[in-house]
This record gives sequence, C-alpha cells and structure tokens, in this order.
Amino acid sequence: MSSIAEMAATRRTAEGRRRWLLKAPALATIVIASVGPLAVMLVYSVMAKGAFGGVALGHFSLDGWTNVFVERDPFDDTLVLADANLIIFWRSIKLALVATLATLLIGFPTAYYIATRPEQVRSQWMLLITIPFWTNLLIRTFAIMGLLSNQGPVNNILIWAGLIDKPMQMLFTDGAVLLGLVYVYLPLMVLPIYASLERMDFNLVEAGYDLYATRSKVLWHIVIPSCKPGLIAGSILVFIPAIGAYVTPRVLGGGKNMMMGNLIELQFGQGRNWPLGAALSICLLVIVTVALIIYIRGSSGKENAHGG
Amino acid sequence: MLALSQPIQPQTADRRLAVQAIGLHKSYGTGASAFLALDDVSIDIAENEFFTLLGPSGCGKTTLLRLIAGFNFPTNGQILLRGKDIAALPPFRRPINTVFQNYALFPHMSVAENIGFGLKMLGWTKSRSVDRVAAMLKLVRMETLADRRTSEISGGQQQRVALARALAPQPEVLLLDEPLSALDYKLRKEMQVELKRLQTETGITFIFVTHDQEEALAMSDRIAVMNRGRVLQVGRPREIYNAPVDRFVADFIGESNILSGRLVGQAAADAHQVRIAGAVATAYGKAGTSGDGTVQVLIRPEHVDVLDSPSSDCIPAVVEDEVFVGTDTRLQLRLNDGSTFTARLTNSPEQEKIRTSGTQVWLRIHSHSARLLGGDHVQHR
Ligand SMILES: Nc1ncnc2c1ncn2[C@@H]1O[C@H](COP(=O)(O)OP(=O)(O)OP(=O)(O)O)[C@@H](O)[C@H]1O
Ligand SMILES: [Mg+2]
Repeated sequence: MSSIAEMAATRRTAEGRRRWLLKAPALATIVIASVGPLAVMLVYSVMAKGAFGGVALGHFSLDGWTNVFVERDPFDDTLVLADANLIIFWRSIKLALVATLATLLIGFPTAYYIATRPEQVRSQWMLLITIPFWTNLLIRTFAIMGLLSNQGPVNNILIWAGLIDKPMQMLFTDGAVLLGLVYVYLPLMVLPIYASLERMDFNLVEAGYDLYATRSKVLWHIVIPSCKPGLIAGSILVFIPAIGAYVTPRVLGGGKNMMMGNLIELQFGQGRNWPLGAALSICLLVIVTVALIIYIRGSSGKENAHGG
Repeated sequence: MLALSQPIQPQTADRRLAVQAIGLHKSYGTGASAFLALDDVSIDIAENEFFTLLGPSGCGKTTLLRLIAGFNFPTNGQILLRGKDIAALPPFRRPINTVFQNYALFPHMSVAENIGFGLKMLGWTKSRSVDRVAAMLKLVRMETLADRRTSEISGGQQQRVALARALAPQPEVLLLDEPLSALDYKLRKEMQVELKRLQTETGITFIFVTHDQEEALAMSDRIAVMNRGRVLQVGRPREIYNAPVDRFVADFIGESNILSGRLVGQAAADAHQVRIAGAVATAYGKAGTSGDGTVQVLIRPEHVDVLDSPSSDCIPAVVEDEVFVGTDTRLQLRLNDGSTFTARLTNSPEQEKIRTSGTQVWLRIHSHSARLLGGDHVQHR
C-alpha cells in the first residue's frame, strides 16, 4: 500500500523536476535580463552616493529620490524645486508624444501605399524602408546634424532661394531633436502598420464602397479600425524608445536640450550621483508604464464603444 | 416606386430593363500577357428578375459582377442601369449592392451595425435606420442575434447578415457572387428557398452567380450560361435544359448523352431525320453540319424507354452496368457504334426489372426529345 503512495510521490517529484527544468531557461532569462537589473536599480536608488561614483552599499538614503524633485541650493542650503529635472521630464514626454503622432501621420499613409502595391513591388518597398536600419544610428544622426547646421545644405538652399538672409539656427533646438526622433523611429511605425494592413481583407474595403462609403469614410470606418493592432503596436514601438532616447538629443539637441536619457547618463557619468540616476531610470519606467496603460485602455475602450 | 421620376425606357417584352451590358470586353494585364476575361458580353436583365450567371470556374462570372458593381472598369463596352450609362459612377454612387462570396462582414462591428452600415453612409437618421435594421433582421430571421459580433455566428448566419446588409439600403439591383457555395448541402437548399422568397418579397432585381447548374435551374427566372468569357446562351431554365444551343451548354446543364449521327433527310422545318448507331430518329433544332453530314444529337437520360425486344426505329444497346439511385435506376449502356449512353428509368415497385450486364436492349427515344446541337463548335478565339 505504502509503496504505491511512494511511487506516486516519486513520480510527482520527478515530474515536478522535469517541469522546472523546462521552465528554467525562460526563468533564467527573465531573472537575469529583467527582474535582476530592476532589483539592482531599486536597491541603488535608496543608497547613499559614493564619493567617486557608485553607491555606498549598506548606507541607506532617500537622497536619490528626493533629488529627482528637489535639490539643495548650494548657497543658502534651502530646498528648491529641481525644475531643471522637471523641464527635462516634460520635454521628453512632449517630444516622444509629438514624435509618435508625427510618425503615425507619416507612417500610416506610407504603409497603406505600400500595402496596396502589387505583391512583388511591396517587398522592394519594405526593403527600402528597412535600409536605414543597416546604418549605425550615430552615423545617421550625424548626417542630420550636417544637414541642419548653419553651413549645411538646408540653410544654404533657404539663403539661395532668398527666403532668409542669414543662417537660421536649426541645430540644437527641440525641433532638431524631434526631426531626428521622427526620422529614426519612422520604420518602427511603418512595419507593424504594414503588417496589419497586409493581413486586412481588402474585400472589406470593397464592401465599404459598395455600401455607399466614400474613400474617406472607408478609411475612417473600415481601414483604421481593421489595422488598429498595428497602429497600437507602432505607437508603442516609437514612444518607448523615443522617450528614453539618448543619441538623438545628445547630437541634435546639444548640451542644452537634454532628454531623460541624457539626464540619466549625466548622473552615472560626470554627475557621479548613481542613486539619482537609478531613481530617474525608475521614474522613466513608471512614466512609460503609465502612458502605455492609458493608451491601451483608451484604444480598447473605443473599440468596446464600437461593439455597442 | 421611382417609376414616375424617371424617363420611360425602351421596353423589351413587357418589362423594363434593370441592367444592360452592351458589348462588354474586359482584359486583365496589357500587351502579350493580356488575358481576355470577358469577350463581347451583351445581356439584358429585366427589373424584378432573378437572373443567374452560370458557368465553370474562371469563365468570368465574378469579373462581370465586378464591372456591374463598379469595382473594375470594362476595357470596352457599356453598362446601363435603367437605361443610363453608369461608367462614370464609382461603386458608392451606384444603387447596386453586393453579397460577397466570402461575405466580407466588418469584423469590428456587431450584426446590427453591419446591417446598418450602408444606411449610416447614406445619411439616414438614427431612428429611421434602427427601424430598417430591425425590419431586415426580421426578414432574414436573425432578430435574436443583433448584438453579436460577426465572428460569433455560424456560416449560415453570416450569410444572412451579408444578405440583410446588402438589402437594407434597398438597392435597385442586388449582386450575389456564389453566396451559397460555402454552406453545407442542407443549409444551401434552405437558403435557396429563402433567397427566392427574399427576391419575391423585396421585388429587387437579383443577379446571382453560381457554378451549380441545379441551383441555377431551381432558382432562376433566366439563366446566362457562360464559358471562357463568353455568354453562350440566355434563356429560361426550361429552354436552356431542353434546347441547349451547343455541346457545351448541353453538357454543362443536366446529364446528357451526346451522340454523333448522320443527316439522312428533313422531316419539317426544324426537324431532321438522323441516323444514330444503326437507327433513324427525328431530331429537332438547327442542323449544324460539319461539311461531311455528321451532326451532334443530344438525348437526355430520362428521355428514352428501354425495351427488351426489338422494335422499329429503336437503337440497339447492351447493358454494361445498372445503378440503383433511389427514385431512379441508371443504366450504363453501350451502343453498337461503340459510344456509351446513360439511361435513367423511374423506379416503381410493381415494374421493377433487373437487367444484368450483357443484356441486349433497345432504346426508344421519346418523341420531340432528340435535339440537334449547333455542330461541335468550340469557342473560337
Ligand atoms: N485581377 C486579375 N488579373 C488577371 N486575371 C484575372 C484577374 N481576375 C480574374 N482574372 C482571370 O479572369 C478569368 C475570370 O475570372 P473570374 O474571377 O471572373 O472567374 P469566375 O467565373 O468568377 O470563376 P469562379 O467560379 O472560380 O469564381 C480567370 O481566368 C481569372 O484567372
Ligand atoms: Mg468568381
């Protein structure tokens, strides 16, 4: 009697072990790549800062977090709002949002155009769209820098055309950063929209025309709702890297027009304030998460309203 | 309803024309790779008619429908709707709706929203459109499923929604592209009756596409038989069945025995004496001889009697196989010129007779049922 129970027990443990072994690679990846670093960041953010960078392990301190929002005035030692940080937060959110919107507005027609081409031509177009990815981001960004600089072709053409008489300051502005973000992340918007448009049943478009919908109504009532998953995916793929962008604002925004990525880098580099850097990183994570939740809630809510 | 506001159109027979195709050509592609999908198609479809386009796969049925709906443009020729050329109208300005072969229901809308879509686009007020949608739901017996997603209903139900959606705006013409082909046999039979009922109730002109000849015969007022982009014959089901113009139509509609014979004399204006496999029969229709005096004669399987003893003007045959198919018995026979012949005999218990393979029999062709086919002309192109 007992032997049967024992056998069952060993079988159960054997099976349990097997299951764990199967899960292990996935778990290891999650722990090493995601949960672990996050935990390290959390721990670092609540430690005192080390004198030459790093953290004073074991010395608990909330300075990292308070420094996100307030800072000690170097002259009279009073606490003042860390408005520089907050301005950078705001600029990051604003630029990422506008960049997402701009890529959406440019990316959708592009994807639609490609998706409605004959099959062989489509793959050629997609190849063209992905070609910029083959070039290093830094090189592409420097290319834009060259274009926008005071002696660059854009200014030269404007002067030659007589529209301006001395070079316009385009580089190192929010506009330049925005242009860089849009250029760099546009393919990330086009690809998922194209994928969902390609999967769309174009009979639906004809059904729309058949039922008295004009072109714009077909677009609004049929095409856009049908490729919503692609629009959502594209927006997420653009927004997340855009809000944390580092290279683009660094090169095109100069030192002044920092975004969160640059601010964080500063803390881990020259600033030697690792706890603040860690706290800022977590703030970025929270902003992205909240934005995603709002966005996904919003867009699926609209869909429910559609369902009546 | 619209009759008073419209100019009076030229009449054919006693009905006004809903759709006229005049010399339609449609080729896909250009240059050497061009493919002629419609080759000089001209048909007149009367108002209120249940008109069927029948033909094998790839013969151009969908192409013709798409030209009428406005999704494609003819390479040549004209399409008139109630006498007016509609070439310049985009699909959303044509009072013509389509039931698509795969239904093309909008997946992000409910059943009711699908049905109301056309009305919304036409700018109907909410309350008017709600009433109409309700009436449509009732018409197709889907009242209880109004709020379902289209992915949450069965194929037959989707079919009904597609129908209701296309009927809701009260089009002048409804185009149906093989709407029943995705349904199982029983449901298809039900929907055939249903479609016919809807057509009669709404009084809308239906242009129905199918490659199922039985379906076409059962439902249509008139049928156009198509092959390789051409219309071979237009007529009422009986005409098409009894007097097919050529071998293709004869073969495509119903079961047929097509025998070659030799003209031996003329009996009347449209009746000829024909020698077939050792017997002389009277065949009707135009004799399209192919120079050497051979003609094609169509005899339907149910149009012969099978006799067990010789009689004058009977065709001798040998039984090869006998298949019992319920109402009928199908006899597979061989004639003495080597050709095969299928005879269909209606079963009845008192005179059941079993003929084993090898039995000698004689076929008596019913009077007026042998048809001359207009030669063996294959489509010339
Ligand atoms: N867009 C197109 N480009 C090139 N050829 C086409 C195109 N659409 C149809 N064809 C060709 O035209 C011919 C007629 O096609 P169509 O779709 O009208 O046939 P159908 O009668 O509807 O056939 P089925 O019963 O299979 O639906 C076919 O040989 C088809 O290959
Ligand atoms: Mg077709």
